[in-house]
Amino acid sequence: MTTPVPSLAAASGWRFFPTRGLVIALTAITVLVPLGLIFYQSLLNAPFFDSQASPGLAAYAFIFDDPDFWDATKNSLIIAGSMALIAVPLGGALAFIMARTDLPGRRWIEPLLLVPVFVSPMVLSFGYVVAAGPVGFYSIWASQLFGTVPWNVYSLPSIAIIAGLTHVPHVYLYSSAALKSLGSDIEEAARMSGAGPLRVALDVSLPMITPALLYSGVLVFFLGFEIFALALVLGDPEGHLVLATYLFKLTNKLGTPSYHLMAAVAVCIIGITFPLVMLQRLLMKNASRFVAVKGKAGRQRPLALGPWRWLAIGLIGLWLFVSVFVPLSGVALRSFVTYWGEGIQLSEVLTLEHFRTVFGQPALMRGIFNTIAIGVIGGLLSVVCYAAIGLAMHRRNDRWSRFIDYLALVPRAVPGLLAGLAFLWVFLFFPPLAPLRTTIFAVWLAYTVVWLAYGMRLIQSSLLQVGPELEEAARSVGASAARTSRDVTLPLIRHGLLASWLLVFMIFEREYSTGVYLLNPGTEVIGSLLVSLWATGGADMVAALSLINVVLVGCGLAIALRFGVKLHD
Amino acid sequence: MIKLDVSDLHLSYGTNPILKGVSMQLNQGEVVSLLGPSGSGKTTLLRAVAGLEQPHQGTIRIGERAVFDGAGKVEVPAEGRNLGLVFQSYALWPHKTVAANVAYGLKLRKVPGAEIGERVAAVLGQLGLGHLAERYPHQLSGGQQQRVAIARALVYNPPVILLDEPLSNLDAKMREEARAWLRELILKLQLSALVVTHDQAEAMAMSDRILLLSQGRIEQQGTPQEMYGQPASLFTAEFMGSNNRLAGKVVERRDAAVCVAGEGWRLWGTCRDRADLQPGSAATAVIRLERMRPAAEGQQDNCLEADLSTSMFLGDRWEHLFHVGPQALRTHSPQPAAPGRTRLHLPASDLWVFAG
Repeated sequence: MTTPVPSLAAASGWRFFPTRGLVIALTAITVLVPLGLIFYQSLLNAPFFDSQASPGLAAYAFIFDDPDFWDATKNSLIIAGSMALIAVPLGGALAFIMARTDLPGRRWIEPLLLVPVFVSPMVLSFGYVVAAGPVGFYSIWASQLFGTVPWNVYSLPSIAIIAGLTHVPHVYLYSSAALKSLGSDIEEAARMSGAGPLRVALDVSLPMITPALLYSGVLVFFLGFEIFALALVLGDPEGHLVLATYLFKLTNKLGTPSYHLMAAVAVCIIGITFPLVMLQRLLMKNASRFVAVKGKAGRQRPLALGPWRWLAIGLIGLWLFVSVFVPLSGVALRSFVTYWGEGIQLSEVLTLEHFRTVFGQPALMRGIFNTIAIGVIGGLLSVVCYAAIGLAMHRRNDRWSRFIDYLALVPRAVPGLLAGLAFLWVFLFFPPLAPLRTTIFAVWLAYTVVWLAYGMRLIQSSLLQVGPELEEAARSVGASAARTSRDVTLPLIRHGLLASWLLVFMIFEREYSTGVYLLNPGTEVIGSLLVSLWATGGADMVAALSLINVVLVGCGLAIALRFGVKLHD
Repeated sequence: MIKLDVSDLHLSYGTNPILKGVSMQLNQGEVVSLLGPSGSGKTTLLRAVAGLEQPHQGTIRIGERAVFDGAGKVEVPAEGRNLGLVFQSYALWPHKTVAANVAYGLKLRKVPGAEIGERVAAVLGQLGLGHLAERYPHQLSGGQQQRVAIARALVYNPPVILLDEPLSNLDAKMREEARAWLRELILKLQLSALVVTHDQAEAMAMSDRILLLSQGRIEQQGTPQEMYGQPASLFTAEFMGSNNRLAGKVVERRDAAVCVAGEGWRLWGTCRDRADLQPGSAATAVIRLERMRPAAEGQQDNCLEADLSTSMFLGDRWEHLFHVGPQALRTHSPQPAAPGRTRLHLPASDLWVFAG
């Protein structure tokens, strides 16, 4: 023990990790510049590239004067409000059944419940049209049965109900997490006092997770303002606009590029969503405090449902049928038939022609290839970026960490459609960046920023599981902060990083609205292709591409289930 | 030779002061314990020395080198201090083998590969872990994990080794064996060690010197014998051993000798803190359990008539509970006590009187 060991000063190594300042600066630039451009553009009287552009409020004056804008705002409010009213009670009920009762088959029902979270809303919306639209499969079967179609998916209430049903999983996720942390003793106490399962749920379990229900209610209400595909696909026939589709349609309203008007609408949308995001943050803090006060989670014992199980099975089955089975079966059927209508035998119209067409069109093939690449390679790169930001904040509770924390919330408040638009403007506004606009890099960058908050949450939940003393031990034997990250922190969270990669892959496969304004030859992805093909009426191609998209997401889901990746935190 | 010198260290969490001016020294080959109740700042002091907490005032020197100086804006990061730290939870890296855990500090110091192997084998052999080199931490018992954590902190010959509650994660039986083993190891390797503990018996057994902390300040420091036998404050007296307390009023004073009286008793004791005890002021008299004995035949001074309430058999001795009016008193004895009324003797030199 007496032989000398070289001193650390002599052995101090090179800096491995990009300095923290660089990571923070890059994050700030990529988040704030596009957003700043939206605000700047909204205060001009003409598009920024127009030499006549001058500062002014004309854009706001125009949209505030437009009855369509107020109509769209009203519709957005109605849809968002009904979504919360539908999704919160249903999501809470599903969460109670899944988390607290002995319903048989819960293990394989759970992944099915999450399908609407991972399937593109564009695919689901298209599915409702072909399944339950005026000449949809189920509509025609229903009219054969009742003589008439007893529903109209194009009406505003239908859109609101569908939006509500497809957002049930969001409520389910937060409520079931909260319910799982409750000890079952409080429910057993209610059973002993003579309460049946329904009374237990209504009087004890659900009231105890009020903060989680409130949080998810605000979340769903907030997501209501991001609704784009549903309103685009189902709202068009009867002319129901929401804020996002109003913005989308502005492109053609004046015949010339009306960027200033779009920017003004975008600012209005962010004006609604940003306070909601801040409210969610506040509620989230309170919710976790509430759970902590309740103390340690007791032993978990499922509540015996008894005869109530038939009601529970019926409720889950009905929801699954309407929200998952109907649209997805519609998409699948439609992609294999030449056409569909009254009095047609299914066996006579089966075909593989649509897939042959898709595989024969270079642009569509590029779209499929790009979608896979952006999920696999892009997803990996995004996780690397999120991890770099996460490490820059890790164990550093200073001003900069709080700054990044809030910075990650900003893109959360910007719907994908607006984010894609903002990045388009960035590439047009700064000429040196222009060549990037027509590369897939542009789409990847926009995706990465749009999902920044989601990615950061994945990374941070991994980082939280690393005990601080493991890192302190490395520091005390002589490792620098960078060396500690490389040798201790990163190896310890490698499984978490792989799981994040898979989840980001699925989210990127699903994404559609962010790529809409960035669609160029070379930057096609399935999501944006669906929007543009739908606008030109290519239902056959839309059906085939939708099914391919569902299959890609399904592969991700299958891998996740195979390796036991948690689909939510 | 002074290995570690902390001077007037102040540290706060936000506006909450944790250390309020702590000074201490650690000499070559010495074991010093930081002792105190939870919240006294002992772990914070250790972590500040290690560089894991940031003080805002004072100095820390390791050998000749200042690693923290609040005035001179010197702050060497944890990795630059070249100290060995053994964590309470051991903090072994779960993704590295025992050998890789121990070798990491040498790798960071760019020691050639062959020499790393030799040194790791040597230190593991020394701690009786030679056969476990290729295991992963989760395959080891608690005691083995503790030894790996110590090996990891020793392998690069740090001038000072810091141990944060090193025995608290072991079960009671193993703790006593580990205590003896650790003391022997520190002496054999001539280490200079700073140990945090909340257990006074552990502190006395392991260290050459004890620093008792209370609310961010050093209450008293000295050898284990001084701390136990000559406490300078009621806090130290209470913390270092098991006592009987008698609350009363001073009735007479002759230099260090003080006479205290309460409900149904009047005893002479020794004033331990230099407090201004005048007749009429409130005082607390304290005596170690083992110093209070049944009075010898005919002994009259400083005695109490007490009723035996119950006796408990502890294995190596008995513990008796007596009552003098409302006052409860406990004593130890090797044999059972006779039931009924007993006369107890409290020697004046062992009955310490403190203000308050």
